[in-house]
Amino acid sequence: MANFAKDLELDSALTLSQAAIGCEFQIRQVQGPACSQLRDIGFCEQMRVKKLTDGRNMLCTVCGTRLALSRDLADQIQVVPA
Amino acid sequence: MSDSSIKARIALVGNPNAGKTTLFNALTGKNQKVGNYAGATVSRKSGTFFTPHGHKLELIDLPGAYSLDPNSPDEKITRDVLIGDQESEETPDLILCVLDATHLERHLYLLLQVLDLGYPVVAALNKIDSAEAQGLSLDPTALSEGFGVPFVAISAMTERGITQLKHALRHPFPSPPGRLWKGPAELEDAIEKSIKLAETKGETHPTASGLTSVANKGPETKEFIQKTRFEFIHRVVEAGLQRPNEDSLALTDRIDAHALHPVRGWIIFTALMLTVFWSIFKLAEVPMGWIEQSQEALQGWVESLIGKGDFQSLIVDGIIAGVGGVLVFLPQIVLLFFFISLLENSGYMARAAYLMDGVMSKVGLSGKSFLPLLSGYACAIPGIMATRTIPNAKERLATILILPWTSCTARLPVYTLIIPLIFAGALQQGLALFGIYALGTITALFAAKFLKPSLGKTEAPQFLLELPPYQKPQWTHVLRQVGERAFAFIKKAGTVILGLSIILWFLESYPKSDSDDPIVQQSESFNGQIGEIMEPVVAPLGWDARMGTAMMASFAAREVFRSSLAISYATDEEDGEEMRDRLTASTRADGAALYTPLVGLSIIVFFVYALQCLPTTVVVRRETGSWKWATGQLAAMTVFAYLAALMVYQTGKLLGYS
Repeated sequence: MANFAKDLELDSALTLSQAAIGCEFQIRQVQGPACSQLRDIGFCEQMRVKKLTDGRNMLCTVCGTRLALSRDLADQIQVVPA
Repeated sequence: MSDSSIKARIALVGNPNAGKTTLFNALTGKNQKVGNYAGATVSRKSGTFFTPHGHKLELIDLPGAYSLDPNSPDEKITRDVLIGDQESEETPDLILCVLDATHLERHLYLLLQVLDLGYPVVAALNKIDSAEAQGLSLDPTALSEGFGVPFVAISAMTERGITQLKHALRHPFPSPPGRLWKGPAELEDAIEKSIKLAETKGETHPTASGLTSVANKGPETKEFIQKTRFEFIHRVVEAGLQRPNEDSLALTDRIDAHALHPVRGWIIFTALMLTVFWSIFKLAEVPMGWIEQSQEALQGWVESLIGKGDFQSLIVDGIIAGVGGVLVFLPQIVLLFFFISLLENSGYMARAAYLMDGVMSKVGLSGKSFLPLLSGYACAIPGIMATRTIPNAKERLATILILPWTSCTARLPVYTLIIPLIFAGALQQGLALFGIYALGTITALFAAKFLKPSLGKTEAPQFLLELPPYQKPQWTHVLRQVGERAFAFIKKAGTVILGLSIILWFLESYPKSDSDDPIVQQSESFNGQIGEIMEPVVAPLGWDARMGTAMMASFAAREVFRSSLAISYATDEEDGEEMRDRLTASTRADGAALYTPLVGLSIIVFFVYALQCLPTTVVVRRETGSWKWATGQLAAMTVFAYLAALMVYQTGKLLGYS
């Protein structure tokens, strides 16, 4: 049952590039070639993230820090609504 | 009573933008020493200070790092010093970890990694005033209990809490809490065995080596450790930090809504740059006038003191004209550094990098390359060193190779001498200077586009950049930076330029001619002879022999072009006449004006593209680890500069300009 709930949650996860502007999300999973670098700068599981702008490079805040990241990197971050 | 021997060594560690350098300055004041780490161009800053108990402590400012898994050469130095792998650097006795209180969760990751290494630590919760202004409520006691190390709330900029911090740094230091997070039994066993193995091997830092070798067993283990650390941070922060409920639109958000806007952002960026270049001409006019007047007064005073002859000529036409001709540009250089430092300090530079990323990506670079290129406007050397923050090696090499085409301040004396020969009025002159800087930058970007594919296949650069909040400039920091640069410029004028001015005067004055005519004297001098050899080479560029000699001399230092012309023209023109008027009045053998706008343009184009700076070549060699790149860059840029100046002059002539 618990596994089913987790699967359901991951199914509803979006990548940060797909996420809507102005909403708060929680990072569920960071996966991809740059995952280690992303975690080091603050995009780690459980962290809350807010997307501020969209585009080729997007702006978001993680724990109050404003970060700019490219779409390729944002695709490696899976989020769910907070 | 204070003890003058150093009791212990403390390393200052923190994320970039945490306020490490401000804290370093607040603690050590003027007792600082700047050097280099062995085998690296990363600068090593250390200083000393006394605790309230009178103990002298040494403080080392390590490069900013997000974690101890390095992504750039800078971060590697920090890691190597902490694990004892840095050559001729002992491991510190205590770590002073600087955390930005406004971004606490993110900064605590590095603290946790430092604690894993088994160091005693004191944590400085910096920018506490900004955190309070944002409505964040921090509980240093709860954080101290959670992490097992003292947390001191400070504001390095206003020096609030510095005394309490010094109390916390008292000797003997607190005992290290060690690793705070725990993994499953299997992982703990593996870590323990690995540490024991490192101990038997006699490694400098067995805890670090043991943990690293376990973490590097596979990406899954590394990921697990990263997640476990963040989970620990999350738990402790819940008790020690309360955020405001309402999401207020902060000042940074309001400014960024304009500064990062795809249209308004560019308008602001262009307006800022134009203001900078206009100010360089307009605001510097008055102090430049003072320097010129002082130079003339000094020349007059020396002439009245020393009788006419070679010695008087050496002092007046050689040393004062040569050094003064360069020193007169000090106000413009101070202004340029002031503006660059102001933009950096206020947080705008990162926004410029964000805006430029779109342009940079079209030539295969990222916005991260823009910051070193921007530093190159001040001086190519710190710019080349700043490329160390670029994680992609090919992108870094391409940035180093194109960087000298962003015009540095050493070219400014040449530009500001020649521009008024072409344009009148501060606005037109400012626009012309902006155009010159744009020309260098645009060509550099095109060069990157053609160069990067030839450096081999590489992943597309990825853009990940922290945008620090806007802040009031720290005036002491800005003034210190400007002061250091101004001093370096004056020192250069008093040493290199002085030496070269004496040599140039000698070449201009000897061998002595039998004739009293200064023009004959000059043509028979060594300089005249060198000029004769150079003339066929530079004549297609519209230059005369004196310009050719000045160009050759400027390979030692660009500013010498100005000194060399000043010395050449000082010998055969009327006293008291300004240098620019002398250039305007000078003619070719057929009586035609020599310094026409077209010739001025040809000189400017040559100086935009030529790499006439030996220290840059040496630094490129050190950073790329190869003479091939350094000498190749020097040769290619010189040839390109010559061909570009040739094309400008010859095309201009074909179009009917003289």
